Amino acid sequence: MAPVFAKKEPALPAPAGVQKQLSLVRVNVTGQPYDYFRPWQKKAPFSKRALGAVLPQGRVLVTADLVANENYVELERAESGEKIAARVEVVDYEANLALLEPVEKKFLDGLSPLELALDTVVGDRLAAWQLEPTGALVVTEGLVTTVQMMHYPMDVGQFLTYRMSIAMQYRENSYTVPLVKNNKLAGLLLRYDSRSQLLDAIPAPIITHFLKDVKTEHYRGFPSVGFSFFPTRDPQLRSFAGETGKPGGVYVTSVEPNMPAGKAGLQVGDIVTAIGNNEIDPTGNYVDPLYGKIEFTNLITSHAYAGDALALKVQRDGKSMQLNVTLEHRSTQDYVIPPYNLDQPPAYYVLGGLIFQELSRQYLKEWGGNWLREAPQRFVYLDHFQSELFPEGHRRIVILSQVLPANNTIGYEDLAYLTVTKVNGKEINSLGDLAEAVRHPINGFIKIETDEDPKQIELEAVQVAAEAAALQENYGIPSLQRLE
Amino acid sequence: MKRAIVFVWLLLLCGRHLDAQQDTPPPFPTRPEPSAKPSAPAPAIVPVPVTPPRPNGKIQNSLVRITVTEAEPDYKAPWNAGGIQRGVGAGFVIDGSRIMTNAHVVSNNRYLTVEREGDPNKYRATVLFVAHDCDLALITVSAPDFFKNMTPLKFGGIPELESTVSAYGYPIGGERMSVTAGIVSRIDFQLYTHSSIDQHLAVQISAQINPGNSGGPVMQNGKVIGVAFQGYSGDVAQGVAYMVPTPVIRRFLKDIGDGHYNGYVDLAILYSKLQNPAQRKFLGLKDDDRGVLVTTVVAAGPCAKILREGDVLLAMDDHPIASDSNVELEGERVEFPEVVERKFKGDKVKLNIWRDKQPMTVNVELNTVWPYAIQGHRYDVRPRYVVYGGLLFQPLNLDLIDAYQPTDLRIRHFFDYFVLEQIYLEHPDVIVLTNILPDPINTYLAAYRGGIVDEINGKKIRKLEELAQTFSETPDRFVVKMIGEGPPLVLDPKQVEAARERIKTRYNVLKEQNLEEQPAAKAPQDQNKI
Repeated sequence: MAPVFAKKEPALPAPAGVQKQLSLVRVNVTGQPYDYFRPWQKKAPFSKRALGAVLPQGRVLVTADLVANENYVELERAESGEKIAARVEVVDYEANLALLEPVEKKFLDGLSPLELALDTVVGDRLAAWQLEPTGALVVTEGLVTTVQMMHYPMDVGQFLTYRMSIAMQYRENSYTVPLVKNNKLAGLLLRYDSRSQLLDAIPAPIITHFLKDVKTEHYRGFPSVGFSFFPTRDPQLRSFAGETGKPGGVYVTSVEPNMPAGKAGLQVGDIVTAIGNNEIDPTGNYVDPLYGKIEFTNLITSHAYAGDALALKVQRDGKSMQLNVTLEHRSTQDYVIPPYNLDQPPAYYVLGGLIFQELSRQYLKEWGGNWLREAPQRFVYLDHFQSELFPEGHRRIVILSQVLPANNTIGYEDLAYLTVTKVNGKEINSLGDLAEAVRHPINGFIKIETDEDPKQIELEAVQVAAEAAALQENYGIPSLQRLE
Repeated sequence: MKRAIVFVWLLLLCGRHLDAQQDTPPPFPTRPEPSAKPSAPAPAIVPVPVTPPRPNGKIQNSLVRITVTEAEPDYKAPWNAGGIQRGVGAGFVIDGSRIMTNAHVVSNNRYLTVEREGDPNKYRATVLFVAHDCDLALITVSAPDFFKNMTPLKFGGIPELESTVSAYGYPIGGERMSVTAGIVSRIDFQLYTHSSIDQHLAVQISAQINPGNSGGPVMQNGKVIGVAFQGYSGDVAQGVAYMVPTPVIRRFLKDIGDGHYNGYVDLAILYSKLQNPAQRKFLGLKDDDRGVLVTTVVAAGPCAKILREGDVLLAMDDHPIASDSNVELEGERVEFPEVVERKFKGDKVKLNIWRDKQPMTVNVELNTVWPYAIQGHRYDVRPRYVVYGGLLFQPLNLDLIDAYQPTDLRIRHFFDYFVLEQIYLEHPDVIVLTNILPDPINTYLAAYRGGIVDEINGKKIRKLEELAQTFSETPDRFVVKMIGEGPPLVLDPKQVEAARERIKTRYNVLKEQNLEEQPAAKAPQDQNKI
């Protein structure tokens, strides 16, 4: 039997023989991210070791960041060291969850699947499970201090999060540490700060949502509604918005045109006062039966699914109305500047030594943890304000990211980080547009126009073609383009 | 010439303000041997030189030590006079009973005194002219006998590379003149960090220059060939010091000839070199290594409507422009804007251009270009601001950026692209809600901090004066729309009025607005000697 953790009771030491019913496996992953500065190649492979929580039906739950850009995943029995290859069944980078399946189900025989504990609230104690190199269980207990909506690593929307105070010890498997309550899975480690000893966890309700969605034919992903809001605590703002009743609701500051709220007719300046039967207070919270006051977005991400209909109660110019919104998952492909791009090679186009790419946050993140300050600031600005700057959507930003010195690019060596507007007179809204436009030189010249100086760059089409092979050879570029 | 891109900093300027060290002795009381030439093993009989080998003469008779007390405006509390600081710099006497020094030695000054070698008195000095764009200033002393025994220095030309120069001044606050020697290392365009926006010719020398050298003469063969003004701090590069060369000094002296300093004129264009063969062919240019491509024409500049993007500049005042953007001027290869650098407001420049594969000649009347001003440091002006309902509104400029160090991407973008994206056309003042002085009437408004004002009650706000004017009215409410997505900021003028005195008193706001950058009030000039 695994150790039991009841509220306010100290953790019991694990009795002998606990391994027999262990609910964890080790997960070894070799990942190989793409190199966005040399988009035709991958970076050196590296290995990560983690734990996985064994779930019913022979599946193993891990965090998505573990398996990002994976080449090879393998499961390892902690007590015997026996290994087997596994495949990723579903991965959701936004909720940071992934489901693995060993190539042979019977590999997990003898492990006891974890059930989910959905009732964790502030004040509960959860145990973090880790493994010693011997396979013995290491248990650390911590206190849930807050339950609230927070950003996950991909920074796409906010999700329910448990924040815990816990003094974790380092073990070799820092990814996917399960958090357990009464022998049931209460959450997975999202991030841990050893200085403040604060741990954020992906809570069981989000895991349940993920698993429920996995059961459908096509995994849809977490739903979103597509508007931004602001509290209405300020009586001046409430009065301006024509709200006369009792204080409540959030002020709509922007509505994405191609998203559910926009389709349903929500407008900037509306006050959203309730979702279904849940009233929203002036700060943007509703009263959750389990957690008490928590931001209303939890009603959308945790409780609803893509395709569900939600009733928004809205005040517009002092009049009440109801808008019926059909929720959708917003795919990363629906952004002008996609928020992440994993498991897929980046598109690029090399022309005579000029390297063109589509702007993405994945590219900006190549500047490292401090990319917000260190990546080209113009691109960071475009990414940050993309919905405001490109409200029409349905396009990409094509950039000239760098220049490889070659005969064709003499005098252009110092150009970098330019936004391409036109090629040969054609407007460029994707790398595909660029590839097409390049095929139609004007009087033998390929003319590239950019937003920034120098505004125009010309190449001779014949020269570009003549030196393509030498360029590939010289810089070790297997192919000069990858469009999809 | 203005710096094209705002975020490439040349690190650290010249030495300023070494208050702490002012009264401490220099750490190494060395006795400099006169022009210590390491003499080779000499023959037995050496004729004793009649005068020591001091090629520049007795500089003590021309050098002054300048002590400045300045008040630096506080952009976070713009109603205050600012922090008082003291500093030491050098200066030298030139013709007409004038003392030349750096602008940064005397900027924002409240009180100036000068001392000369061998005279125990301190003399009150006043500024005659200050040129912040080239870091030069002229001051004078009205005490009748001050200049009597002083020798005005004469100016030379641009020194040869590798020739020896001597720099004079009062480094690290010492009270006695110091001399350092070095050679001319490089002659090039450099950013003048005093304004942080202007680029002019500068001469790099290997003579040690430290805080307190600023404004001192750099001499060769008895003539001033530059004014020491900036260098790198030791952790960036060593032995790299810069002086303002005589073409810049002569321009300054000529500009003030009419009693007023107009400042540098600028073409206000951006250009790129034309070294790519395909690009040259596309533009129909000959393979003769000539011409640069015009890439941006600033609408507020003198070339607007005369030059176009895509034009090629072939020659300027008949000096051919090479494809690497250099021209030959008095035997030196320098970047072609140097031709304009030597001109004045109202002067014309002739441009031979290549447009649509045809040659053309155009003339441009030169002028100063105002939008650049927000991207450079300002001195001797009072910060502009408006306080309304405890909300502090200030126009965006470099000093504001330095004071608040905002990380907000929109503010940084508006600053960086103010000229390039012609933001100044719609928002000549980019008015930022920089701070909120907390009070019950603004307690819910914290989230608006950092916003940029776009409209009030549906009316576009372009200048700070318009904001002040609008707030002086009393409609039912003010609905302030900020740029970008976000809720409007709503204020009730009656509540603001009721809270006005309370906020003023609580935060010691001496004045609720300042709309004019009028020169700061000068201290009375009745006393010349203290």
